[in-house]
Amino acid sequence: MAEFTVRADAVDVEQIMRQIRARIREKRGVDYTEEQIQELAKIRLEKFLDPKGVRSDLLDQFRQTAQQDVPPTYEFDDKTLIRSGNPLIAFVRRLLQPILKLFFSPNPLVHALHVQTQINHYLLERAQRDVLVYEVMHNLVVEMTRTGIEVKNMQMRVESISSRLDFNERRARALEAVVQYRPDAVSERPALRDRDRDRDRERDPGRRQPETTRQADAGGGQHEPAASSPVDPITGGESLRTRRRRRRRGRRSGPGFPNDERRATNGEQEPRAAGDEPGPTEDERGERRATSDELEHRTALDEHRRTSEEHRAATEDERGGGEQEPAGHQDE
Amino acid sequence: MRIAVVVQRYGAEINGGAELHARYVAEHLARHAEVEVLTTCARDYVTWENELRAGVDAVNGVPVQRFPVAHPRTPEVFARHSATVFDQPHSLQDELEWLDSEGPTSPALLRYIESSGGRYDWFLFFSYRYHHAYHGPRAVATKAVLVPTAERDATIGLAMFPPIFRGVRALMFNSFEERAMLQHVAGTRLPGVVVGIGSELPERPQPERFRQRFDVKDPFAIYVGRIDENKGCKELFAFFQQYIRHARDRMMLLLIGNSILPVPDHPMIRHLGFVSDEDKFDAMAAADVLIMPSYYESLSMVALEAWGLGTPVLANARCDVLKGQCLRSNGGLFYEGYAEFAEALGALASSPSIRRGMGRNGTTYFRRHYAWPVIERKYLQMFDELAREPEAQRPSMAPLPGYFARRKKVLPPGTAVLSAVPEGAVLP
Repeated sequence: MAEFTVRADAVDVEQIMRQIRARIREKRGVDYTEEQIQELAKIRLEKFLDPKGVRSDLLDQFRQTAQQDVPPTYEFDDKTLIRSGNPLIAFVRRLLQPILKLFFSPNPLVHALHVQTQINHYLLERAQRDVLVYEVMHNLVVEMTRTGIEVKNMQMRVESISSRLDFNERRARALEAVVQYRPDAVSERPALRDRDRDRDRERDPGRRQPETTRQADAGGGQHEPAASSPVDPITGGESLRTRRRRRRRGRRSGPGFPNDERRATNGEQEPRAAGDEPGPTEDERGERRATSDELEHRTALDEHRRTSEEHRAATEDERGGGEQEPAGHQDE
Repeated sequence: MRIAVVVQRYGAEINGGAELHARYVAEHLARHAEVEVLTTCARDYVTWENELRAGVDAVNGVPVQRFPVAHPRTPEVFARHSATVFDQPHSLQDELEWLDSEGPTSPALLRYIESSGGRYDWFLFFSYRYHHAYHGPRAVATKAVLVPTAERDATIGLAMFPPIFRGVRALMFNSFEERAMLQHVAGTRLPGVVVGIGSELPERPQPERFRQRFDVKDPFAIYVGRIDENKGCKELFAFFQQYIRHARDRMMLLLIGNSILPVPDHPMIRHLGFVSDEDKFDAMAAADVLIMPSYYESLSMVALEAWGLGTPVLANARCDVLKGQCLRSNGGLFYEGYAEFAEALGALASSPSIRRGMGRNGTTYFRRHYAWPVIERKYLQMFDELAREPEAQRPSMAPLPGYFARRKKVLPPGTAVLSAVPEGAVLP
């Protein structure tokens, strides 16, 4: 027999089949054979048919009904009593029937037996139907058992998938946080600020020094939040100054500003053409402008600040320094 | 050496499993010996009507003698006898009447076998379940070799057959499972050898030719044979449709053969009908896998051909023979339900290395055990050994019991006997 076996290649059918069955078990949870399902169904059927409060022998009754040999029924009519295979005897009986009626009344007897035959027929049909009912019930329980197993397996799969989903969500959040706190993203803005500050210092060295001294005095030795924490934990790296700047840009980007993307007419946003990619949100646009136009913007601001300081100095010279700076200029 | 091949039907157009088997064996043995076929005039295996002319004929160069069938089969009578012998305690006489009602009953054939015992060295009887294979070996027991082509059905549980199995000189089994089954019912070790049958495969099948001719672009699984519920095709359709709803790999199912069962109207299932041998072999070579969904096979020639062409097989594991072939050849997977079907087909569809490996194993298995030179050699060796067997060691055929003993209703139903026969593949 051994010579009939081929072991030439690395493929081993038995091993592959074991792996296949293991995979099926893994997917299903438990691998029930048809026999096991039948056995489970049988147990459930017995449970179902034998609960407390219901006849405990119901199952046995059903089974007996299904298995017992039902005796044949009979027909009974008004001629049955006097019928005979021998025509002579049948004739004599018919002849003597009036005399018989003198002794007792056979009609109720005939009627009763006739009704009994009908009852017998009905019971026989009922017995046959009971067998069908048992079959139907049995099949239902088999299917119910099968469905129950499937539902359990489905539940297991759903639980598995939901736990995987949770894990993926957590992972996604963690990854997002990592992206927000990226060192280059964090260091980009302080670098820009330092560059601005250096530029200011070059332009107006006498003014920058008292300002820093004033800040230190006003803080009472404590650091300003923006200084102590350059990265805003909520905005993910945006300083308060950046946010303020964006608000200002938002105000400036109303109707009448030529570079505004919205180009609002009557205050409404222009409808987007069909098929366009969904554009960035207002915040995203602000963020993008903050990074790309920041240098240009800062230059404009510095220019503006310098002009207003020159203007203030001129006004103070004219008025003797009694009037305050306009509110709009203070903001800047 | 003169050999008589005795079979219930014979002809170039008769494609039943055992009949085709007999024809192939006769044609191949004719290269080494004088072979003559003894058969009936029947063509239809249900009615056994005398459709072919009685007398001497020749099919593919092999002389054939046909004998008339005494009476056609009456389905009602046969069904009544079948119910008696398969489902109730019965007598040997009941079984003999069942055999007679099954047919093809040909007293002329039996008379010829009995009278011409001296003309032939060996009588090769095919299909144990038919009339000629029961009465023929009784007539020429010392020269009788039986090719049982037995399947796992209730017929194997009838008490009339074990004396035949024990009484013939040798049995040529199709598979190890068949041998185990017959030895169980016979209650003893039976003389014989596992042979099976070969196949004429083309030297160079051309898969691309098939793909072009039938415009098949996708990978595909193939089924070859009669499309019938009895062959497990209904289950195959259900499983395959369920599979392609969930499968990652795009795979078609191509069907070759005449259809008795309606083929589902599905874009991934294609019925090509009856095709030429050339197309059939090209298709089998082009296929990713051959599916054999049948529950009962004594030996699947199609599976062997697929292996011969290097195509792996996916077989129904409820058929012990197919499962055993897959395990012994290491050339196919098997399934017992949808889950296994889907996983096994998925594994074959997605893994070219498994397909190649199994195909190679299958080819080796086919060449080593089912190539025609191997089959011919086994038959000839068996005849040679039997010729040299001392007379004392030869089995003897038990005589039929007497009149009253034959009529004692003491035999168990065939189904009861069958249920006691061990199941499962015979593993190496």
